[in-house]
Amino acid sequence: MSFLQSIKNTVRSKSIHVSYVNVGSCNGCDIEVLAMLAPRYDIEQYGIYVHNNPREADVLLVTGAFTPQWEDKLKSIWDKIPEPKVAIAIGNCPISGCVFNRRGAYVDPPVAKHIPIAAEVPGCPPRPTEILNAVLSLAPLVFKDYEEKQS
Amino acid sequence: MATSLSYYLREMARGEWLRNFLFVKTAPYETPPHFRDYPRLTGKECTHCLACMMICPTPGAIEVLKEDEGWNPVIYPGHCIRCGLCVEACPEGVLMSGRILESQFFENTGYTWTFHLTVDSTLCMRCGNCSVACPVNKEEDPQLAATGTGENDEVIMRVKGGELRILHEEKCTGCKTCEEACPNSAIRVARVIEAIHTAEEGG
Repeated sequence: MSFLQSIKNTVRSKSIHVSYVNVGSCNGCDIEVLAMLAPRYDIEQYGIYVHNNPREADVLLVTGAFTPQWEDKLKSIWDKIPEPKVAIAIGNCPISGCVFNRRGAYVDPPVAKHIPIAAEVPGCPPRPTEILNAVLSLAPLVFKDYEEKQS
Repeated sequence: MATSLSYYLREMARGEWLRNFLFVKTAPYETPPHFRDYPRLTGKECTHCLACMMICPTPGAIEVLKEDEGWNPVIYPGHCIRCGLCVEACPEGVLMSGRILESQFFENTGYTWTFHLTVDSTLCMRCGNCSVACPVNKEEDPQLAATGTGENDEVIMRVKGGELRILHEEKCTGCKTCEEACPNSAIRVARVIEAIHTAEEGG
């Protein structure tokens, strides 16, 4: 491993920038994402920062069952995120549509059809610890030695 | 001003403060044992009454599947919303989650359910598919003809006098086979679920 790569690994393990996007959820999962920020779960102590700007994000948290309005927009948000990037589906909605996935409903789950999803956190809503564990366990898999894996 | 500033500088220069500031993390927050997690099997025998599937509010969250010799409910995490209704509805206590079973036992609570069948006679074509498909009808009257007509009045519904009549609503088990068989979405099954609280017998 090159020296530059080891510096990048250290920095990336201590500073994961998270952006979240609600593609038609009931807001329950968004509240759990916000609870992660609050002092009780406190994700910033693990070096995870929520900026909600895709251009400086590493991790995209997707909540919601994908309404038709997001058809082109979610893809463009995903394209704006610089590499290395990863998307995590939060809650049942982006996985299966949950209670909204009924006949005649204007939702188009799963979100994995539209952007590549690396991890799914089931639950309606998932516990903040479950979201936190997903981000923490996925980040080293994706960001560690990213450049070396590419070449 | 100067004193408070020097106080802060002195405080922050302490080794312990610096160490805490840089390295201390709160202990990982454990999931409490009473958390209503995905239902787990208790090991009791499932009788395949499908009460769990009937009461489940989410599409595709629970299924009762046959394993080797017995039936067992299977929970699908991407669909299940952890409401715990299947745990409460199961008459055999096959599933458990958090302290639902304990509180149900101490408080003597449970559910009763009936099913309400409605037929939209403007949509209904009297094809009788619902009466033929109904599994309860098949038990009551195996001779029920393909048009849903027959002489047996013990069936749930059948075409009688040129019209689909609901004869024995109370026999319905809520499987919704009739809804699926209906080409016109004319028949609807509604669950009427009541929470009950009994003083003497355990829920």
